[in-house]
Amino acid sequence: MGAHISIPMYQRAVKQRYRLVGLKCSNCGQIIFPPKAGCKSCGALDNFTEVQLSGRGKIYSYTVIAGAGAPPEFSEEAAYRGAYPVVLVELEEGPRIIAQLTEPVPAEIKIGMPVEMVLRQIYTEEDVIRYGYKFKVLEGEK
Amino acid sequence: MRRVAIIGAGQTPYGDFPELGVKELFAMAFKEAIESVDKGIAPHEIQQAFIGSLSAGSGFQLGQLAPLLMGHVGLPNVPAVRVENACASGGFALYNAINAVASGQCDVALAAGVEKMRDVSSTKAKYWLGISGDTEFERLAGLTFAGIYAIIARRYMEEYGLTREQLAKVAVKNHYHGKMNPKAQFRQEITVETVLKGAPVADPFTVWDCSPTSDGAAVVLLCSEDRVKEFTDHPVFIIGYGIGSDYLALQDRDSITSFKATRQASTRAYRMAGITPKEIDFAEVHDCFTIAEILAYGDLGFGEKGEVIRLLEEGETYLGGRLPVNVSGGLKSKGHPIGATGCGQAYEVFNQLLGRAKNPERQIKNAEVGLSHNVGGSGGTAAVFIYRREG
Ligand SMILES: [Zn+2]
Repeated sequence: MGAHISIPMYQRAVKQRYRLVGLKCSNCGQIIFPPKAGCKSCGALDNFTEVQLSGRGKIYSYTVIAGAGAPPEFSEEAAYRGAYPVVLVELEEGPRIIAQLTEPVPAEIKIGMPVEMVLRQIYTEEDVIRYGYKFKVLEGEK
Repeated sequence: MRRVAIIGAGQTPYGDFPELGVKELFAMAFKEAIESVDKGIAPHEIQQAFIGSLSAGSGFQLGQLAPLLMGHVGLPNVPAVRVENACASGGFALYNAINAVASGQCDVALAAGVEKMRDVSSTKAKYWLGISGDTEFERLAGLTFAGIYAIIARRYMEEYGLTREQLAKVAVKNHYHGKMNPKAQFRQEITVETVLKGAPVADPFTVWDCSPTSDGAAVVLLCSEDRVKEFTDHPVFIIGYGIGSDYLALQDRDSITSFKATRQASTRAYRMAGITPKEIDFAEVHDCFTIAEILAYGDLGFGEKGEVIRLLEEGETYLGGRLPVNVSGGLKSKGHPIGATGCGQAYEVFNQLLGRAKNPERQIKNAEVGLSHNVGGSGGTAAVFIYRREG
């Protein structure tokens, strides 16, 4: 056993992982990402429409995973980056998502920094490269 | 619903025990629990068993663990079930056992927890601990369990001005307590400097902010009020209890500087007990990472969020303070055998309330009401219990 995400399981979430496609609740307007069967705001179980999220947001919180502390799928990455930052981003549309911060990483990561989604290699499992979203800090913007 | 009391409790030391498997650990705690009952109890008096475990032994899923363990101690025909809610498995086993007695399903029930973590390679341990969050969306950002709590810590520091040194003080306090506990895994005092200079794990945490991987088991024996006198004249009643749940992933929650699951659980427990947080004499709280104890102070009503740092700064949660927290050493120093933790906390509260803390220097004086708080994962679930010595 393990934290293994099979290829079919990954494939089902490609829309989210590659393009940040979320759901909008037609009942109350709540934007939901990643998609769920029930609206977190009003509890509706149907009448959702897909929405394309902008991919822009701000750092809500962060950590830097030390090389020795990385999960096994990321040990290679930790080995060549030494350590890597993971951020909780609050998107313009409201939802928060967790992702890695990609290079160039600022010398000091700060809560509130503007970021934008980029498509990157996340890790490799079963010899298949898993792509998905990371975020990069937008320099010179506030 | 009937009132329910603890009549006995046992716990293995927590630590690294290469010679003991999951069955042996359970049997050790079971024997101590049976022998701890003042007037004695025949094992066959136990009518139902609820056993918490995440890995069900060495990181592998082993079906029907509970009847296997009960069979090992000679009780194959006691209806038994394994309960799993990650790090709160023991707390939820206790919750189920209390309900079994309170509802009249049985008069005497066993609640237990057991975990064998040290058999597992660190790579594999990371795999099966990783599954206690929202694996698909948290773990696959490269986040570890420590990383999730680190993100909480960074946000707490931003919102409330919590400093790195103040975080470290949680570990310093709990190690100070753990040094006195003969069953604790790490019996060594540390300083703020030790914590700050430790190996980095996930910023702002070093290894000293994190609870260890541990082997261990704990067993609690519960009895209905009408039969308590058969077993003891010094029962500890569970006067209030509650559970709570939330989205597993941090990203789905409105606030990450408070655990809604804990608030839900504690609100229910206080209401049932008919008391306020001010009436709690001491508590065992879920400090899997230093920030977790700070969250617990707020969510258990020990103070306002943000203000609670003072409790630590002024020494109020030290042994001898107004509200000692984690005199056992907590998960941080006593150890954290995942499934055992919730029942191990009950073991500590039971013994403290009865003046049986073994080592006199670690005995809380004249305590009447204790509380224990067990969290699953990073706040996906929580269980809170309030105990009172009667007689
Ligand atoms: Zn809605």
